Amino acid sequence: MLKIEDLHVEVDGKPILKGINLDIEAGQVHAIMGPNGSGKSTLAYALAGREGYEVTKGSVLYKGQDLLEMAPELRAAEGVFLGFQYPVAIPGVSNIYFLKAALNAIRKHRGEDPLDAIDFMKLSKQKAALVQLPDELTKRSVNDGFSGGEKKRNEIYQMAMLEPSLAVLDETDSGLDIDALKVVAQGVNGLRGPDRALLVITHYQRLLDYIVPDVVHVLINGQIVRTGDKDLAKRLEKEGYSEVRDATQL
Amino acid sequence: MTEATSQTLLASLPASFDTGPDWLRTLRGRAAATLREQGLPTKRTEAWRFTPVRSLVDSEFSRDDEGVPALVSGVPEGVTVRGLTEVLESQPELLQGRLDLGGAPTHFAALNTALFRDGLWIDVPAGAVVEAPIEISHTSPTSSEPGVVYPRVLITAGEGAELTLIETYAGGRAAQLSNSVVEVELGRNAKMNHVRVHENAGLQIGRVDVRQDADSGYRSTVVTLGGALLRFDVRCLLQGKGAECQLDGAYLTDGDDHVDHHTLVEHQAPHCRSGQTYRGIVSGKSTAVFDGVVIVHRDAQKTEAHQENRNLLLSDTATIHTKPHLEIDADDVICSHGATVGALDEDQLFYLRARGVPEDFALAMLTYAFVESIVDRMSHEPTRARMREALLSRIPHGDEIREVT
Repeated sequence: MLKIEDLHVEVDGKPILKGINLDIEAGQVHAIMGPNGSGKSTLAYALAGREGYEVTKGSVLYKGQDLLEMAPELRAAEGVFLGFQYPVAIPGVSNIYFLKAALNAIRKHRGEDPLDAIDFMKLSKQKAALVQLPDELTKRSVNDGFSGGEKKRNEIYQMAMLEPSLAVLDETDSGLDIDALKVVAQGVNGLRGPDRALLVITHYQRLLDYIVPDVVHVLINGQIVRTGDKDLAKRLEKEGYSEVRDATQL
Repeated sequence: MTEATSQTLLASLPASFDTGPDWLRTLRGRAAATLREQGLPTKRTEAWRFTPVRSLVDSEFSRDDEGVPALVSGVPEGVTVRGLTEVLESQPELLQGRLDLGGAPTHFAALNTALFRDGLWIDVPAGAVVEAPIEISHTSPTSSEPGVVYPRVLITAGEGAELTLIETYAGGRAAQLSNSVVEVELGRNAKMNHVRVHENAGLQIGRVDVRQDADSGYRSTVVTLGGALLRFDVRCLLQGKGAECQLDGAYLTDGDDHVDHHTLVEHQAPHCRSGQTYRGIVSGKSTAVFDGVVIVHRDAQKTEAHQENRNLLLSDTATIHTKPHLEIDADDVICSHGATVGALDEDQLFYLRARGVPEDFALAMLTYAFVESIVDRMSHEPTRARMREALLSRIPHGDEIREVT
């Protein structure tokens, strides 16, 4: 599904990612853990195609295609989804209208007919219920006046609407209390499937109790220093990142 | 109806004013004298620095009588609408002390004062709360020769009266000039919603002058959709304690448009509040000007005044002049002002694209949202709907936005 080889990324001329290798197969859930400033969000943005995240070396193949060549909207159309750590508010642009534009652009790319208003609303109601996002919020301006938890639920609601093949979730757990975390995790788990892959980026192990990963990577200083199974996350929680940092002399 | 002679604006001032009540003849005579002395503004006149009026001042126009504003709605119960000429003939005392813009008018307002022939007086008596909007439309001359009209409207609202006025200035031929004055007098606790639309205005000089008594509220929402040369001035005098005004506007310019919005709010009494939000989308080779002034007089303690002008510059060849400005002589006030000129928010744009919205469509959505927020404040749903439609027809990808909204 996703094959990252020796990926180097600079932001404002400063190297942030320094040779990432990652291989995610369909059906898998990978978690990337790491301390603040290790490059987790940079990886997420680079995969989504954000301007200013300059790939200086390496390659990213997504379903065999060169992902780095694609514009952000084309990546989305091909089934890549980024759940933002800090979803931006867009006053004046209604959640549901923009999502309809997005979904229909993606459907068009796949050679499918646009959803009509009725089918779209039906789908929206169903997906909003999945993450317990009040129907009224789906109609409001994107994230405008949303609480932290509502913003994160809105991200997962949108993901459920767009049904991506590869979802990159950047600190989806930050700012969530335990109940909200469970709801969000449940929404994410509902989208797991043999044709889909998830890359879950998190600072804390807590989220991984609810979204159980197949593989856990530790990212420190722009490099993956450890890879293991879900127990690695638990060990990390107990010992802290400094242990890993010391052990790997980074 | 059109007089044959074509003259410059100043040359069209008569030597003396021989009709109407004495006080009006005096008022007109003074306005004419002021004009003869000061002339019409030039580029050296500070408040007209960016407005290319020279072509107007030098051009010859024939006088046209078609410019009397027309009432297009019914007259809601509780409202009296009368022709100014008719009142001036039958009951001139009702208008005495009015029609002078609260002082000695200058420049184009003086020209209107000296030369207007007829107009409308809309009166809402004390206590009348009128929900149905009053709609008037102004059309520029239709003649093929360059013509000028002087629309004049007087609104008076008594204590506790409430009204909504919808004004439309419809397009004329480029060489047709409309030089209008709308005066508003709001009594204690009176409330007025004023929606004003300039749609493909040719040559438009418009002035709205509002005087507010205690606890009155005036809300103006102006939408300007292009204009060969449009200059709009709104002035609110907050004369009574606790008065409030909110002045909002949106402008879209393209091609060779020149569109100028000037606001002036004077806090003359304490505990008044004013707000201004103007937003513009400026494209092509057009020029947009925003000049907003808030003056807080020494006695106007506990004033709250906010002013904001934001612009989207969509082409390298377009020009924006923005000048928000505060003059504060009181010490216990809350004031803010700000202006921005820029492109769209990169974070918002990336968010939309990352979800699959193509870049140009995402740009269009953000552009639409930027001005739609002003249209959304219009208190009259049919006009709001019409303005949304007008925005969509002017913004790229408007059809696609219409489909998803």
